[in-house]
Amino acid sequence: MALRVFGLNIVKNNRNLLQNACKSRAPMPCYMAAAPFATDVTVQAAPAAVQKQRVSKAMRAYLKRATEHDEFMKTQHLEFQIGKRHLANMMGADAETFTQEDIDEAISYLFPSGLYDQKARPAMKSPEVVFPARKAAEFDETGRPFHSMFYTGKPNFFQLLHDIVEETNKLADLEERMLRRGNKPDENQKLEIAGFQLLPKDQLELLLVESIADIEYSNFTNSMDRLIASPYAYKSKAFIERYMKPLMDQSKQLEVPKPRIDEEGRQYITTYECLRKTARADVTVRLPGTGKISINGKDISYFEDENCREQLLFPLQFSELLGKVDVEANVEGGGPSGQAGAIRWGIAMSLRSFVDQEMIESMRLAGLLTRDYRRRERKKFGQEGARRKYTWKKR
Amino acid sequence: MKMIRNRFGSLSRVSAQLQRHVQQMSTNAAASPAEGATISEFRTAVSNPGEHSAMQVAKFYTIPAEQKKQIFTGGGLPKQYEQQIKTFTEACLMVRNPALELLQYIKDGDLTKPVVRYVLYGENGTGKTLTMAHVLHYGALNDFLLVHVPWAPNWMKRPKEASNAAGQEGMIDLPFDAAAWLVHFKTQNGPLLQRLQLKTSKEYVWSKRESTPAGSSLIELVEHGIARIKYASETTAALIAELKQLSTAGQCKVMVAIDGFNAFFHPVTRIFSDNKQLVTPDRVTLTQPFLDITNYDWTNGVCILSVDKIAMTEGHMDSYMPRYLLGKEGFEHLDPFVPIHVENYTDKEFHSYISYYLDRHWINKTPQGFEEQLKFMSNKNPYSLMQLVKAL
Repeated sequence: MALRVFGLNIVKNNRNLLQNACKSRAPMPCYMAAAPFATDVTVQAAPAAVQKQRVSKAMRAYLKRATEHDEFMKTQHLEFQIGKRHLANMMGADAETFTQEDIDEAISYLFPSGLYDQKARPAMKSPEVVFPARKAAEFDETGRPFHSMFYTGKPNFFQLLHDIVEETNKLADLEERMLRRGNKPDENQKLEIAGFQLLPKDQLELLLVESIADIEYSNFTNSMDRLIASPYAYKSKAFIERYMKPLMDQSKQLEVPKPRIDEEGRQYITTYECLRKTARADVTVRLPGTGKISINGKDISYFEDENCREQLLFPLQFSELLGKVDVEANVEGGGPSGQAGAIRWGIAMSLRSFVDQEMIESMRLAGLLTRDYRRRERKKFGQEGARRKYTWKKR
Repeated sequence: MKMIRNRFGSLSRVSAQLQRHVQQMSTNAAASPAEGATISEFRTAVSNPGEHSAMQVAKFYTIPAEQKKQIFTGGGLPKQYEQQIKTFTEACLMVRNPALELLQYIKDGDLTKPVVRYVLYGENGTGKTLTMAHVLHYGALNDFLLVHVPWAPNWMKRPKEASNAAGQEGMIDLPFDAAAWLVHFKTQNGPLLQRLQLKTSKEYVWSKRESTPAGSSLIELVEHGIARIKYASETTAALIAELKQLSTAGQCKVMVAIDGFNAFFHPVTRIFSDNKQLVTPDRVTLTQPFLDITNYDWTNGVCILSVDKIAMTEGHMDSYMPRYLLGKEGFEHLDPFVPIHVENYTDKEFHSYISYYLDRHWINKTPQGFEEQLKFMSNKNPYSLMQLVKAL
């Protein structure tokens, strides 16, 4: 990749440099993968050979900046390595095999923090992660740009569009040829994109090291959709997958536990760890039943509020199983509405085993299967509460 | 094909007619022979509680307006139920099992034996007061003199006025409440007292100039108490003592009904004494006569008492069981008694109530499955159901 950006002449002039580049790049392949468009020139700048020739002003400025950045990153990297060794020593682990996960664990152990925002908590990460990748020089020493689309302002993005269209055309040609020969696309090899989605805009921006507008992003998605829609899309599988992201959590939710049988011969499902606010519950749903509800040994009168009872009954009513299943719940912590919410979630999750796929989907859309992560908002100083300000008094 | 359909049509019509016929017969059998007219399945025409039996369970009977006025003017029905009666323009009570059980006991009981104490207990809002109202109606129709305290905690929690008792040291009088109770007694028992012509057994001297001579009628005694509010508490005590004597002598029957009886045994009242200290219920002059009449040292009467969680105050409301609510002292005072558990609606009662509400157009929104929803939301608790359907 260095070749394309630097230009052949540099490689010819300075082989050592290239070797250095290869060496220094070897230990950090993971960051390369994260931003393939960016890393090309960032690190290796200011080759001696370049300075001898006539250098444009822009290039000189760039080279200066690049050297500074280079130095900076080098020291950062060194510090990180030393810090890592110290940390490993402190934790009594081997510094050579000390991974980033070990670092995170050690930091959260040594500097326990109750700060709400994850980003505000102490952390130690590799400088490549902390300092975002920068775009390399896009022009040679005489000021002539490398990229043919340099003057679009977003060469990487438009190159990508270009590539997509090229792939699409290739597939269209292939389709036509196959059609002429009377062949059909292979059904077995059909591209499976269920459970995947196109890279979201912010991730695509990171990948391209260019900020793109909404309309440009929609251009990208449209062209990708066109490519994917082609019957021979499996031929460009590698290309497509580079811009897809798996939907992990949804597929995980799709697995529905199998109900077990109790001693009375009834099916039952127990959902543990039903959480809402500070309440936690475990809920057992039995089928068939008579609609008996017991919460901590009491019936539904455990909740005095109307809305709490309503919360509790909603999943049953929604799935039309009210009066057909028995519910047992143990709940502790929190207040009435938190407890009711926790049980509601538990009932809904348990009911998945007793209803069909369609109902599960509509339950999901109704938000019954979504965990409610909202917590109490902290009081702010200088304010009466989380949001309310003190009464304004003129003096 | 057409013929077959026709035949089926006629068949179904015949069966429908048959069904209607059978229904009519059954309603005729259920309803009293006097009123065999069309009556909804959740109502009964039997308006005399003495004639209620298992046949009328979960059905509504109407209390005639003048009887309701006589018995319940001074209280006895919960305020919200009273409002509902006003809205529905009829005083309907549901015949429920606890009331029937209690009525059966009273009918079968031997009045020559010492009085039996019946204690109604149950969760909040299950219908203890209305069960009592049902029995009161029976008592009023069967020539019982009613000694009815609609809600005893009122005296301990929010008395109109408290003053030191004249005669007894350290006791507190509630003159206005006592007078109000005397008025209530008079409205409930006025006609019966006229008829029975009961006389006082001894002379009551209220002050130097005022006295009620022996042999004056009970009505005079009561009216004196109402007119001279200062002596209302003493009059109440005198009246109750007289009633005990008279009923033991066989001159009258007495039905004692006290709602929230456990208020008499609550650790503390909300009445302040002279030295700004909260007094205990036993230092209120009204307490003594009512504890006295719930003793079993007299005959020719029945005692119906209810113990209620909401008669207590915060911190004493953990359980609805009589032993807990009455405490040791109260429990020993009543022991032995007949406990009667008032429970939430059964399915039948619940459906009957819903159809009553529908009949009164009180429930207007009837989406599919609303009944089931109400059932689970209210937990078949009468009071919660009443609250819930308010908005529908």
